[in-house]
Amino acid sequence: MTLLPILLAIRAAGADAELIARLRRRDPHALAELYDRYGRLTYSLILRVVRDSGIAEDLVQETFLRVWNRVQAFDAQKGAIGPWLLAVARNRAIDYLRSTGGRERNTVEFETTDHPALHIDIEPGILASDKARKIKAALEKLAAHQRQVIELAYFEGLSQTEMAERMGQPLGTVKTWVRTALKNLRDELGAAVVSA
Amino acid sequence: MNCSELRDHYELYVLGVADEPERSEIRTHLDRGCEVCTAEMKRAREFAALLGGTAMPAEPSPKLRRRILASVGAEERRFGWAPFLAAATVLSLCAAVYFIGRERDFAQEASILRDQSRRQTIELTRLSEAFAILNGAETTVTSFGESQPKPKGKVFCNPALGVLLIASNLPQAPAGKAYEMWVISRSGQAVRAGMFQAEADGTALHIERRTLDMKTTGVVAVTLENEAGVDQPTTTPLIVASLALQ
Repeated sequence: MTLLPILLAIRAAGADAELIARLRRRDPHALAELYDRYGRLTYSLILRVVRDSGIAEDLVQETFLRVWNRVQAFDAQKGAIGPWLLAVARNRAIDYLRSTGGRERNTVEFETTDHPALHIDIEPGILASDKARKIKAALEKLAAHQRQVIELAYFEGLSQTEMAERMGQPLGTVKTWVRTALKNLRDELGAAVVSA
Repeated sequence: MNCSELRDHYELYVLGVADEPERSEIRTHLDRGCEVCTAEMKRAREFAALLGGTAMPAEPSPKLRRRILASVGAEERRFGWAPFLAAATVLSLCAAVYFIGRERDFAQEASILRDQSRRQTIELTRLSEAFAILNGAETTVTSFGESQPKPKGKVFCNPALGVLLIASNLPQAPAGKAYEMWVISRSGQAVRAGMFQAEADGTALHIERRTLDMKTTGVVAVTLENEAGVDQPTTTPLIVASLALQ
């Protein structure tokens, strides 16, 4: 797994506030710059979820349009646009996955998880930070079933109950795996995340 | 539930996949401004953001960027055929103007060449007729003007082909005038034998195609007349070639 998308975001991390201000002024060039910074990262995330390049591109387009249309609610001085963009992208992708899989869509829940106001006070350069490299290494260290439950939660939007059904495991076992995986990740990330 | 019991559910809540009753419990804590839960939520959102960056890197198609920008009404400057088409159009117009001009030139040149060709054909025909008279077995030659300063030359008469006049030192006819050749019988009857002009160098070649009775033809003469021609000589002949009696 390479760090290329994150490395691409490094050079732009410090300029988020200026970029957000330009997006709020409806500057199309700012949208182009936003895409240049986060387009590949967004596409990679969505493709990981939907596993179809054509659909992934459609959802990337939806994601950037959603950000473009909702950026007025974003605090240019406090917001971290990268994490917000990824949250929107993930929610678009998971919502698509649920709609095609006959699963219950939880659009209202997503509305609350990718709201711009929730992404203030997050470190603007977090996607290019040392933490990003640490979490990759931490995921690699997890046991396979622990990594699987984290990925099912993040990339497929499954609750613990849904994971238990998918994996054919008792709910208690899955909860244990989730709890253990999160503890291990926190431990690996250490104070870096907690103190951020 | 207290905050420590919710500890393993903040990340799932942020991802929108927390089960009940933990989801409602966290919401209740947040609604009442729980500081612990608020701080944990901030940490969980950072955790979620970091997870988003762990997907295997992939490359979208180059068209996607243009699609997105076009969807908000922003036109990207990009490579296209438009500048080349515009340049090609300008070049085509220039070429059209050039070739139309060239075509006009070619047409003019072709017209000139056709005229030259037509004149050369006429000249060749005349020369061919002249050679026929010159080479005719029955052709007789009569010189004129030998004792005069001008004009001088020869008259070739062939009974079947006609009369060939070759002259030099012939002055240019004044405006409205032309030289007229006469075939005059021995009895003095003059018959018109064609109009001609002298060349710029004073030479002239004139052919009158007709049959001749060499026994009755006595003189070939040339007078200066109105260019429309006259039925009988009105001026003193400049050229008089007296044919020998056959």
